[in-house]
Amino acid sequence: MNPTPQTPPTPPTPPIPPPHRTDPAADRVVALTLKIGAYTAFLLIVSGLVLQPFVPGAGKIAAAGLLVLLATPVVRIMVAGAQFVHERDWKYALVSLVVLGIMVLAYALGIKV
Amino acid sequence: MSLGILLALVAIGFFTGGFGAIAGVGGGVIITPLLLLYFGLPLQQAIGVTLVSVIATSTATSSLFVERHVTDIRLGMTLEIATTMGAMIAALLAPHVDRRTLAILFTSFLLFTAGSLVKKAWELRRQKSHEAPGEYTVRNYPVGLGASLIAGGMSGLLGIGGGPIKVPVMYLFMKVPLRVASATSNFMIGVTAATSAIIYWGRGDVNVPVATPLVAGVFAGSLLGARLAPKVRPAYVLGLLVVLLGWLGVQMFYRIMTGGVH
Repeated sequence: MNPTPQTPPTPPTPPIPPPHRTDPAADRVVALTLKIGAYTAFLLIVSGLVLQPFVPGAGKIAAAGLLVLLATPVVRIMVAGAQFVHERDWKYALVSLVVLGIMVLAYALGIKV
Repeated sequence: MSLGILLALVAIGFFTGGFGAIAGVGGGVIITPLLLLYFGLPLQQAIGVTLVSVIATSTATSSLFVERHVTDIRLGMTLEIATTMGAMIAALLAPHVDRRTLAILFTSFLLFTAGSLVKKAWELRRQKSHEAPGEYTVRNYPVGLGASLIAGGMSGLLGIGGGPIKVPVMYLFMKVPLRVASATSNFMIGVTAATSAIIYWGRGDVNVPVATPLVAGVFAGSLLGARLAPKVRPAYVLGLLVVLLGWLGVQMFYRIMTGGVH
């Protein structure tokens, strides 16, 4: 008889207890949004600046990078808000909506004034 | 714009972004006086350009803090209700405020920042910086919201992030661990500065040819700085920043006294 080798069951690695109040899922989507915004803006600005002496109108690419930078916080609020809705955390979904509303109001007033 | 000026702006962005990320300060308080004193920008444009570079620092570094689970997103977004409100109101009022008064307010805040950095350097001597933030319960929301309204107002009026106001309030009154307070303040600055910047942009006060090289430098510097931060002792960087802020404070004071702010 061939005794099956007794492999001791590997104990499940205890998960590191998350610090209070953190939300790994929300952290992940928010960090990703910020990263995409930052790198897109950076790439547009750098390519606009490098092309500027050679290509007419390349300054517009750099300016588009600034607009991506300005829009990133707005998108970050929408993404966090969507995540809160997904988690059925209505209180913070509402908080996101209020912050978004103030930014839209600032945009509307900023255009007018 | 000459290549020399363009490279100077990239370098300024790079160093303020890098040192800012290592020392945990936004750097807005450095960029405005540099643009005003050495590049001849009018105050409103210097502030508009600074706002954009402050968004760059916050966006680049806060993604890393959020990934490390140091940022309290829910607390940050709650306080953002107050910071964006303050920023919007102040940014709309800013062009109607006397330039000299603005410059005096700015210089006072610059010196206050220098003082708070001295205090921070002193405290860092005996602090173990990499302890995981423990359990905490956020207290005193009204005080935090009030301070955030003021910090947002300073963003809209002066272009700065207001970290030296928010961080101590979150730490002392809201009982949030210092590292969490610092990361959360940094997180909020992007949204706050963007609210102000939208209004400055609409007025034509974001000087694009100046802002683009500066922001490129800020991005590169703060991404590098945030990665170096755990390995560098911030005490020297803090010391350097205090000397720089002191020098800029004296220059600003001289400029105000000779009536050169417009």
